[in-house]
Amino acid sequence: MAKKQVLWFLVALGIGLTACNDNQKESPATGSITIHIRHTVDGNPLITDSLMYTNEAGNHYLINEIQWFISDISLVADDGSNIALDADNSAYYVDTDIPESMRIQAWMPVPAGHYKGIAFTFGLDEANNISNRFVNPPESFMFWPEYLGGGYHYMKLNGKWINEDGLKAPFNFHLGTGQIYTGSDRDILFDFGASNQYLHCEGFHPPQKLSPVVAFVPNYFRVNLTGTDASLIDGGNLEFIIEMQVENWFRTPNTYDHNVWGGSIMQQQDALKSASENGHDVFIVKPLN
Amino acid sequence: MSRTRFIFTSAFAIILFVGLSACRDKHEGPAFKPTPYPFEIPFAFPNKLNIPTDNPLTVEGVALGRYLFYDGRLSGRTHADSLMSCSSCHIQSNNFEAGIDHPVFQGGYVHGLSGKQTTHVVLPLVNLVWNSSGYGWNGFIFTNNPITGQRSIEDIVRISVMAEDEMMGDTTRVKALFQQTTGYPALFQAAFGSSNITFRNIERAIAQFVRTLVSADSRFDQYLRGEIQLNQGELNGYVLFTTEEGADCFHCHGGGGNPLFTTHLFYNNGKDTVFDQDIADRYHITGDPMHKGAYKAPTLRNISRGGPFMHDGRFKTLDEVIDFYSHQVRLSPQVDPLMHHVLMGGVQLTDQEKSDLKAFILSLQDNNFLNNPAYGRPEKFPDQ
Repeated sequence: MAKKQVLWFLVALGIGLTACNDNQKESPATGSITIHIRHTVDGNPLITDSLMYTNEAGNHYLINEIQWFISDISLVADDGSNIALDADNSAYYVDTDIPESMRIQAWMPVPAGHYKGIAFTFGLDEANNISNRFVNPPESFMFWPEYLGGGYHYMKLNGKWINEDGLKAPFNFHLGTGQIYTGSDRDILFDFGASNQYLHCEGFHPPQKLSPVVAFVPNYFRVNLTGTDASLIDGGNLEFIIEMQVENWFRTPNTYDHNVWGGSIMQQQDALKSASENGHDVFIVKPLN
Repeated sequence: MSRTRFIFTSAFAIILFVGLSACRDKHEGPAFKPTPYPFEIPFAFPNKLNIPTDNPLTVEGVALGRYLFYDGRLSGRTHADSLMSCSSCHIQSNNFEAGIDHPVFQGGYVHGLSGKQTTHVVLPLVNLVWNSSGYGWNGFIFTNNPITGQRSIEDIVRISVMAEDEMMGDTTRVKALFQQTTGYPALFQAAFGSSNITFRNIERAIAQFVRTLVSADSRFDQYLRGEIQLNQGELNGYVLFTTEEGADCFHCHGGGGNPLFTTHLFYNNGKDTVFDQDIADRYHITGDPMHKGAYKAPTLRNISRGGPFMHDGRFKTLDEVIDFYSHQVRLSPQVDPLMHHVLMGGVQLTDQEKSDLKAFILSLQDNNFLNNPAYGRPEKFPDQ
């Protein structure tokens, strides 16, 4: 009798395990994605605090640090569909002084398959760029003041350049929400084009210190990179490098001249727009070797 | 026979266990169950707290820490001329700094029991539970410091007790003194489960108390929470504070999105052009030449109650500080890139703008913090 019971038990166990295996086979094949962020200038790894770079406008410059947000990352399948790597509203903070911030491990499983590209938002779109979303440092240190549109800096790229007087002048290439101002004493939109930025650089005090803001302008952009040509197998891990080619922030279509825009651009929508437009070819993607 | 032996052995084991348990209870007193400290995260503040896992906040630990923070016997001495504690230099009404109007240390420049001038100006003990970037003007106390003993607020307690330019004490004598003082052993028992006082537990108790010192109810906090409206001057000052073309304070000193009003980070803010002689800047911690002349950006909460200002206390008033950032910033290779107005000598505020900026900074004064009895000197000490 006891032997019979043991036999039935083994049979049931075998059926159960077999069923379990069948279920596993039916679940979709998935893998994981790791993204490594790199910063380069002229094809070489970024070296900070060294006055060794020259931009398209001929400015000799150094970079002290780069801090920025990458958000809404997705893989682009061969059929053109986008596979989100994370939950909605996901955003990652990248900091050249924090090595661990330059490795992004997507936590959602990604369907196995062949992917031709990757897409992401540089900075934060309107849905993501909400004040007090990040309460903890270092993300909270990226806040963009309410008066200037709120939310967060998309990027802080701090450095110095040799200005027209031969002095090493600081610049804060800070990208985020722009503003359109009106004068407090005259109802016009101020033109912060290149024509008056020379004065701005030389100590001209723009009237917008306390001028009312009549509109905000988002300057984030979507980056679509193709050519990954990579296959993710079941249980595998695909690793990419997303590289920021820093010199391209200052190159095309707009030659960005620090002598024109000066050291601070958070309140100069024309400069923010110019930088944002230059962002189209700043990033490249390649597999991790 | 075997069954009898089994019964005998089992009975012996039970009796031994019961006996030992009774013995343990008798010697160790009641079970050690400290009460978790009810810490509330203020609106918009970080929810990550810098509390060591081996020293969680407890009601009993904080209460003990408050006594020790204020007890002059922390110097290890009892003579009236030799009493000194944390509160000798960290005055609650002065933002837990010395303050310009300090009754003993003229102008807020403190010295130790030895008479030796303290090498640094006192930093405020405000919202330190949110500081994970290092303590001190140059951040020489930090979590992963390879130098053990320079990693936490607990370590600062020991350093301050022993330093020649502070309490110039002896840890053995300090713990012995409190061991002999009526009431303290029982408080240590309640806080740490042992009435045998160790200096480590003295450090832990004071650190717990310091981590509870939270300033989050200034007029600006109330404005952020939608409870009040700031006046026009304060609002103008807020815009100046948080705009690059205004006073441009926010990158280092926070704002609505960083209500700590500090990043706890280190900057060369353009005070000087020569740094070789200075032994206590950030460079001496990191070894990075670009960090010469860099010091912590302290919180601006309650700043007008503290002072003197800057790491060396060169400015006595908030007006002097605003004038410096407006007109006296100096260019050096090390000046931080965030000081992008340096070529103009500063942010060039008008008198009206200076007034508005000051009005906003004064809106960061939290009178409920400065007068909170829970942070104040106990009415009496355990032996009184």
